[in-house]
Amino acid sequence: MSATAVAGTVARPARLRRRPTASFRWMVAPALLFAAGMIVLPFGWAIWLSLQETMIGGEARFIGLDNYRRLIADDEFWNGFRLTIVLWLLSLALQLVLGTWLGLLLARLDAARGLIRTVLISPFMLPPVVIGMMAIVILDPGLGVANWLLKEAGLPQLLFLADPDTVILTVALLDTWQWTPFVALIVLGGYLSLPRDVFEAAEIDGARAWQRFRRITLPLLAPTLVTAAVLRSVDLLRFFDVIYITTQGGPGHASTTLNILAYRRGFEFFEFGYAAALMVTLSAIVFGSVLTFARLRRAVAW
Amino acid sequence: MVGPRRTARLLDALQLALVVVILVAPVAWMVASAFKPRTEVAAIPPRIIFTPTLENFVELFQRTDFLENTLNSLIVAGGSTILGLVLAFPAAFAMSWHRMTWPATATLFARMAPGTLFLLPWLVMFTWLGLVGSHLALILTHAVITLPVAIWVLLPYFDALPREIIESAEIDGCRQHQTLLRVALPMVAPGVVVAAILCFVFSWNYFLFALVLSGFDSKTAIVASFNFIGEGVTNWGALMAAATVIALPPLILTLIIQRRLVGGLSAGAVKG
Repeated sequence: MSATAVAGTVARPARLRRRPTASFRWMVAPALLFAAGMIVLPFGWAIWLSLQETMIGGEARFIGLDNYRRLIADDEFWNGFRLTIVLWLLSLALQLVLGTWLGLLLARLDAARGLIRTVLISPFMLPPVVIGMMAIVILDPGLGVANWLLKEAGLPQLLFLADPDTVILTVALLDTWQWTPFVALIVLGGYLSLPRDVFEAAEIDGARAWQRFRRITLPLLAPTLVTAAVLRSVDLLRFFDVIYITTQGGPGHASTTLNILAYRRGFEFFEFGYAAALMVTLSAIVFGSVLTFARLRRAVAW
Repeated sequence: MVGPRRTARLLDALQLALVVVILVAPVAWMVASAFKPRTEVAAIPPRIIFTPTLENFVELFQRTDFLENTLNSLIVAGGSTILGLVLAFPAAFAMSWHRMTWPATATLFARMAPGTLFLLPWLVMFTWLGLVGSHLALILTHAVITLPVAIWVLLPYFDALPREIIESAEIDGCRQHQTLLRVALPMVAPGVVVAAILCFVFSWNYFLFALVLSGFDSKTAIVASFNFIGEGVTNWGALMAAATVIALPPLILTLIIQRRLVGGLSAGAVKG
């Protein structure tokens, strides 16, 4: 133990052993001060709010965990939870599968440059409100071009965002349209950083394309895919904008995910205490999933 | 041997062409609809050939406050970009120099919480301060988006700075803020440009905070566009004209930095 410590000291480059010159630590202060006022304080405040009963015009009253007990018994909460999980898993699966396919396609064709790169980047740089507006016009049940195309192709017409049975799938497809290129570019980056000789060796050994993908490419890409999954999961679990812009949670409650439910409780019904409890619960779900992915990432590291 | 290879390559190219069509078609439809005459926007069967007109844009800017809304968006996005950079630049330098990891992790965690969580206390806070409906409230809240993005984009640029240069500036008697502005800033200027553009785009695109905290005089183009939908606007031409206008700045700006974009995005981790 002590021997390694001594060895470590000896091996250190001289530059690092020199006594540190001035400290620049104070330069973090303005950002920390801002974060304290705009992030930490409101975060604590939201937790405090979640322990209170708030009425419009009335005094707030401390009620302990009652808001959380109410939440456990609330059908709307469980409806929102179910929709959040379905939307998350559906979109994530679509984006990881299609993103891997597209990323490897780009690698084979060496195509992620110039105009093609612009086309790939554009969707996820567009404002979500633009995605929503395009969806409203293109997917309009009566006058939209999507249903016209379906009809011309001899397929049944769909209500898309106006049908409780298809609204979540439609939102998932909109998000997949927007974010698959992002996943593909991450996969491409990960693939290009892999050691070439492994693939060459496999090819010389006569491994078939599917075997090479299944046994070599996929395991080597696993850490990259987990990173992409984390980035998408954080967005998907707290998905708000495109849903609120296109349906406001409807029809009925068919797209009232947890974040939409929390927003409506807070800013349409002004039940601040209960809304805060919903938001804190959602935050816990997001943090929990990120920590799970962090463990998964260690498990698939090579 | 050449035969199957060539077929495989042709199949790959066809798949890529299909992806490009799927990605481009909706945007092309949006832009085309913005230039269609009123009577043809919602025509069935859809019109592919039409005489382009500017009447939708004229209506958008003359009959609504969209010009003011766009100016508000510029003020908010510009202000929060500057605020985010001013806070992030020294912070990222110190974090890189002293190899501090906890502030970066902390900001990342803060960015994972749903925006609605912060919005509730902010509404109380800004109501109390009399700032609801002001540009300042939007600039402050959007800086919560831009600050972590700027830190995460700038960190690798500072990490790549040779320590000797900063140390010799020290020895030459440079004051700390001079070291930062005269020595470090010119060397990480490309990083600052990337960070500024990403901050501006994220702030420009952001919907939720302005939805609740903006007033008549500070309504952003994003929220105004959302309101057009809510008002049951049947004029799809004007709606698509608005969509085209707000889509332009992000598209043009990201075009400039697209080479460095994906690294910055996956490091800066996700939008609000």
